[in-house]
Amino acid sequence: MFRYIVRRLLYMIPVFLGISIISFFVMYAAGDPLNIIRLGRPNITQETIDALKVYYGLDKPIPIQYLTWLTNLLQFNFGKSLYGGRPVNFLIGSWVWETVKLQLISILLAFAISIPIGINSAKKQYSKQDIAVTSISLFGVSMPTFWLGLILIIIFSFQLGWLPSAGAYGAPYLWWDNPVLDEIAHLILPVTVLVYVMLAQNIRLIRANMLEILRSDYILAARASGLSERKVVYKYALRNAIGPVITYLGISLGAIIAGAPMTEYVFNWPGLGRRYVDAAMRLDFPLVMGINMVITVMTLIATLIIDICYVYIDPRIRLR
Amino acid sequence: MAETLLNIEGLKTHFFTEAGIVKAVDGISFNLKKGESLGLVGESGSGKTVTALSVLRIVPKPGKITDGKIEFNDENLLKKTEKEMQKIRGSKIAIIFQDPSSSLNPVYTVGTQLRDVIMAHQTVSKTEARKKTIEILEVVGLPDAETRMREYPHQFSGGMKQRVAIARALACEPTLLFADEPTTNLDVTIQAQVLNLLNDLKKKLGMSLVMITHDMGIIAEMTTRIVVLYAGRVCEIAETHDLFERPRHPYTEALLAAVPRLDMRKTLRVIPGNIPNLIEPPSGCRFHPRCNYAKQTCKEDIPVLEEIESGHFVACHEWQNITLKGERSH
Repeated sequence: MFRYIVRRLLYMIPVFLGISIISFFVMYAAGDPLNIIRLGRPNITQETIDALKVYYGLDKPIPIQYLTWLTNLLQFNFGKSLYGGRPVNFLIGSWVWETVKLQLISILLAFAISIPIGINSAKKQYSKQDIAVTSISLFGVSMPTFWLGLILIIIFSFQLGWLPSAGAYGAPYLWWDNPVLDEIAHLILPVTVLVYVMLAQNIRLIRANMLEILRSDYILAARASGLSERKVVYKYALRNAIGPVITYLGISLGAIIAGAPMTEYVFNWPGLGRRYVDAAMRLDFPLVMGINMVITVMTLIATLIIDICYVYIDPRIRLR
Repeated sequence: MAETLLNIEGLKTHFFTEAGIVKAVDGISFNLKKGESLGLVGESGSGKTVTALSVLRIVPKPGKITDGKIEFNDENLLKKTEKEMQKIRGSKIAIIFQDPSSSLNPVYTVGTQLRDVIMAHQTVSKTEARKKTIEILEVVGLPDAETRMREYPHQFSGGMKQRVAIARALACEPTLLFADEPTTNLDVTIQAQVLNLLNDLKKKLGMSLVMITHDMGIIAEMTTRIVVLYAGRVCEIAETHDLFERPRHPYTEALLAAVPRLDMRKTLRVIPGNIPNLIEPPSGCRFHPRCNYAKQTCKEDIPVLEEIESGHFVACHEWQNITLKGERSH
């Protein structure tokens, strides 16, 4: 196991470098950062521009620029935002936490809820309960997140006034002046949206896999051995059915970590996803590239965790 | 005469599919004595496996036992609650399936799967269950049981997997074992080993065995009495040697004629046609569309199973008017 992890960590190095190169050149193709400064300050002199060019190292050949950027990156020096001039790593630090908090809660909740529902649906295929669950899931899969988010805001924030509509903090008047409750109150709507969408996918996957596995010979054999229904379903079937769900999670991790920007946008969430979109629209080069690399590293680590889970769940996957 | 262990009367197990009701088992009756080896014979789709699953009451959906009586030790299993059945399954009645590769769970070690069965039926600690697991694996001839129980099914060969499956079935020393084509998916040499093992264990544990197969060779070797099924009904019941020598049902004759023999250079006789559609089975005797001796009555009336000699039952309108060839004369 240890060797497997080390090997996987080593594989990450070329992936990381590849993404850094792509990311660097895509940004390079997006435009000239100096033009942005020119746009912001139309009266700027040519001397200042030249000085800035030297200051940012833009006078050097492109490969040198890339290497300089990479070296700085590896020393956790992400540069400074073109807007406001604050260090990028300092900015990202606080956003990453908000995104991770939101996503982690959503993923865990989605799993905790979808597993029993999916199993029950499969056990009682075509029952009223199953039909209700599959219809609601289908609705969830096909519905855009921003739409659901807006509807929830209209109902629970504007009409009922129960929950804050935006941000992660700062509406203590709603819930008895308690900072912890305030944080929870802010989480409810965005988490609901994210959980609902993930839930829909997960339930469909678990249900479909469970249906197939409950029909398999080894489940029949487990029943024939006199194991309790609970043990048959939750021990013998579930572990076989959960694999594809983990795979799906692995595939969608990139999007999840990037912060489901739509949801963060709708709820004005102070997370990575929303700032990523903002930065890209303003062509804030150091910030976009910094967030890019943070997302890359997080995705790589999460993928590794998923792979390890997978090996644990299914022993047929060899540790090569 | 030995005591009756299992008595099935008028068992009907139907599958309620979208295409219609599949009458997989449609009024089967037979019994089994303590310590007996019974063969359940018939083509694929004749209802052999469904009968076994019905006794254990684990018929998969959309199947349902709609009628009949299954008495095990004089208790009707169809009247038991699910909880009571769980106690019987695996401990008193066990089953070995055809394909050991798919009947063992791929994601748990062999040891875990056996231990779960032992702990489901006996109040023992984990260490004791572990000890019993090793013991039973040694009984079925798994070399190096203590190490191998920590391995997963995919690390075993086909024959070894079937030994593990046998160990799981026998872990709680059942009094009745169904062996559902236990050697069909194995190499010929391994087949012999597994059959010998089953025979030995049967003697050692004094259990009754129901051997489900379409292989007449295995049946001849392993059983003392045979029930021939066709399309969900019983055609004939007789002692093994009696059935082989003097079959009374045309279907039994056809089955025996379809057995390849080395000592007679003859083309193999196949039974023309296929097993009928069980949603709308043929009227009267279900075998009549494929039967060489069929008369008008066979199309109209359902033949009843009658005892024509002591211990020899047959369900055929014409049995008195026809002479059938046994296994030797083909």
